[in-house]
Amino acid sequence: MSPVAAIETDRLSKVYPGGHGIEDVTMTVEAGEVFGFLGPNGAGKTTTIRALLDLIHPTAGSARILGLDSRRDSVAIRRQLGNLPGDFGFGRETTGRRAVELMVRLRDGADPARADELAQRFRADLDRPLGELSRGNRQKIGLILAAFHRPALLVLDEPTGGLDPMMQEEFLGLVDEERDRGATVFLSSHELDEVERICDRVGIVREGRLIAVERVPDLLGRARRKVTVRVSGQADLDDLRRVPGVVDPRAIEGGISFGFAGDLDPVVKALAGFHVTDLEVSRPTLEEVFLGYYEGGSADKGAGGST
Amino acid sequence: MSAFIVVIYPSVQGALTKVVAQYPEGLKQAFGIGELSNVEQYLHGEMLSLIVPLAVGYLAARAVASDLSGAAESGRLDVVLSAPVPRAAVCAAAFLASAVEVAVVLALTLILSLFGSVVAGSGLGVGDAIQGFAAVWPLALVACGLAVVVSGFSLKTSVVTGAATGILVAMYVLDLVGKLDSGLSWVRYASIFKYYGNAIETGIEPLAFVGLACLGAALLALGAMLFARRDLAA
Repeated sequence: MSPVAAIETDRLSKVYPGGHGIEDVTMTVEAGEVFGFLGPNGAGKTTTIRALLDLIHPTAGSARILGLDSRRDSVAIRRQLGNLPGDFGFGRETTGRRAVELMVRLRDGADPARADELAQRFRADLDRPLGELSRGNRQKIGLILAAFHRPALLVLDEPTGGLDPMMQEEFLGLVDEERDRGATVFLSSHELDEVERICDRVGIVREGRLIAVERVPDLLGRARRKVTVRVSGQADLDDLRRVPGVVDPRAIEGGISFGFAGDLDPVVKALAGFHVTDLEVSRPTLEEVFLGYYEGGSADKGAGGST
Repeated sequence: MSAFIVVIYPSVQGALTKVVAQYPEGLKQAFGIGELSNVEQYLHGEMLSLIVPLAVGYLAARAVASDLSGAAESGRLDVVLSAPVPRAAVCAAAFLASAVEVAVVLALTLILSLFGSVVAGSGLGVGDAIQGFAAVWPLALVACGLAVVVSGFSLKTSVVTGAATGILVAMYVLDLVGKLDSGLSWVRYASIFKYYGNAIETGIEPLAFVGLACLGAALLALGAMLFARRDLAA
């Protein structure tokens, strides 16, 4: 019997009077995976997360978290859930330790020693008032509060905001460990290189709609690559235009460049007619693929960087 | 302030009696001013009839607003509600914390007033004073309940505090209008101050005390229901 999905939404919608929000978001996040939720500011990421957490109520559709109804069983869900809100705060006067103590009381049975362990790992000061901490150091406290009780599902809204590169690496390490433990991690992020490194799948949201859900390797694999070929002599582009998958071939100084998606072999055979002096094939980064969705709404528009 | 009133009473007693004797009867009844021939009457007229109830009501509403709206504004509510805590429990905790805070404030005020009375020789009766200050507490519970109800509509601390306190003030005005104009005496039934009375002189009215406390609890229940249904925007 397959494990229950960690998150399932069915046409989840939250429409505000101004017209923003989310519409018909249908997705499944499998148990044990790390799922990235991508979109620019205002796309609907936080709205989706808050609807899942029963902080706001959908106008249509439904969601199930760990097999339970997100609204009716909200309290039961939160026993197994850890959440880092988008802009973590807990009051200026409270210390991280007081916040941990409160959460230990609210989460009957949680082990506060794990919070100390994470604090050491993230070099977080639990004994200073949160109002005296920088944004990054407050964010560490938020991460600790979300993760210290070893939840089955971690929902993290922009988790690395304000963290320095070393702490970002620690965070990625933590996510890896959570996945190895069997937990599910659902995170929204702008840090696309991190998402590319850590996520199994990503969902891309634009203007309140989920426009793609794919495995990261598949997304990158289907995206258009950029090919630059240096040739000696004149280059005839007609042969290239006939190759399936080749897009927009154009002559450049000393050669040809074109976009390409699909089987590389016909391309190589078409290039055999030229005197090729150099060949560069660039795979797009997740960022370029992501931006492609916002330029025209298709992964095929991802352009190449250097490899 | 109450302690100050008690301390200065012996000095102003004679003059007060003459001044009050000249007030119109209707005015005296409307503002609960008696003959001021003893410190209990003076304390009620100066503090317990208006200032203390409204001040304590404001304090109660502000405390609830801080625990609900303030928590939402600071982000603490998001974190607390990531734990397995029903929203109704959050409301109840805010209500109870405020009720305890107000009880402590009233107790301290009582103690200081009694101390002032001993120092100044004002003769404030301990039992009378206890009843006088205790009778304010259920009004504060109503203020707490009103704040929870308003939190069901707004998560701005200033709005919750202002609206709950404003309703208390409006009820005081209704009660006053009803006392000043016998033709409008029916409006007093819409005011909790009708049931507040003058406990420092006549003792706590048990039915009114329990009734106001129950009203506070009922407002808490209504407010918790509204709070559970509302969106908690980021």
